[in-house]
Parts: sequence; C-alpha cells; structure tokens
Amino acid sequence: MRIAALTLALGLVACGSMTAQAPLEVGSKAPDFTLPSATAAGVGKPVRLADLKGRTVVLAFFYKARTGG
Amino acid sequence: MNAYRDQYAQLFNGGKDVTLLAISTDAVGDLASWAKDAGYPFTFLSDTGGSVGRLYGAFNPAFRLDNRTLYVVGPDGTIVHRAAPFREVDPTAYTDLGAAVKKARGGQ
Repeated sequence: MRIAALTLALGLVACGSMTAQAPLEVGSKAPDFTLPSATAAGVGKPVRLADLKGRTVVLAFFYKARTGG
Repeated sequence: MNAYRDQYAQLFNGGKDVTLLAISTDAVGDLASWAKDAGYPFTFLSDTGGSVGRLYGAFNPAFRLDNRTLYVVGPDGTIVHRAAPFREVDPTAYTDLGAAVKKARGGQ
C-alpha cells in the first residue's frame, strides 16, 4: 500500500514536470535562445541572448499583448 | 508593460547597460503594433511556440501562454534575480526588480 502510494506520488511529480517546468534557480546560467524581435519601430532582427553578454538583461515573460500590467 | 514604460529610467537605467526583453507567445507583428501604439521604449520577443517559456519555467500549457515570470541576468550570463510569479500589482515587486538590476550593474 505504501509502495503503491509512493509510486502514485512519483508518477504525479513526473506528469507535473512534463506539463510545466519549474522556474530556473538564481545562480544558474541563463539558457541561450534566439527569438524574433519587435520594437515601436517595427519588426526587428532576431535577438540572441548570448549576444547581450556584458549587459544586464531583464527577461519579462507576460500573458498577452494589449493586456494590463 | 505600462509600469515598465513609465519607470523605464528608474528600473532599467533608461536602457543604458540594461536590456529589457518582454516575451510572450504573441506573433511578432502584433507585438510591434502594440509597442508602436503604446510607445514602449524596449524590445519585445515573440515566442509563439512557447519553447523559451518552457525553458525558463514560465509557460502555462493549459492556456498556451507565459505566466508573469521575471529574471534578471547579470553581465556574465548568470541569473541573479527571479520573480516567479512577478506580482505586477505589488509596488515592492518593482522595488525588488530595480534593486536587483542596480546590483547586477555593480551598484552604479
């Protein structure tokens, strides 16, 4: 019974990690990426995080364009 | 995003030595038109598939949107501050963010 409960718990943890990954830890290396960019001037060149080394970079994930906040 | 725009000088040193990247699953054209209409002085990134959101633990698979999650990455590429979730209605969230950016820049 105990083993069954443990197996179930581990299974739930595994499912959870498949659907939503945990946020990254402070002190860890920020994973590199490249994404299409946009500014008030229009669509710009793709931005690669590694190209911004030497600058402080703030990554602000948000829900959707034209929403509050 | 209006709070970031209105406090751009204080929070992000007006973009000097600091790059603010606002990331969502919106199409890049939608982000560009919004940035123009609202006069945002920073850069938006389009993560339509949510792959970068997943990488950073921000992606919400139920809604296929990114939850409000914020990271400050220092000049050497290390994460120095995290707000997950970022509480956009809480003034202390902005105080913490401003302090983290300042510290990352070497307290200048």
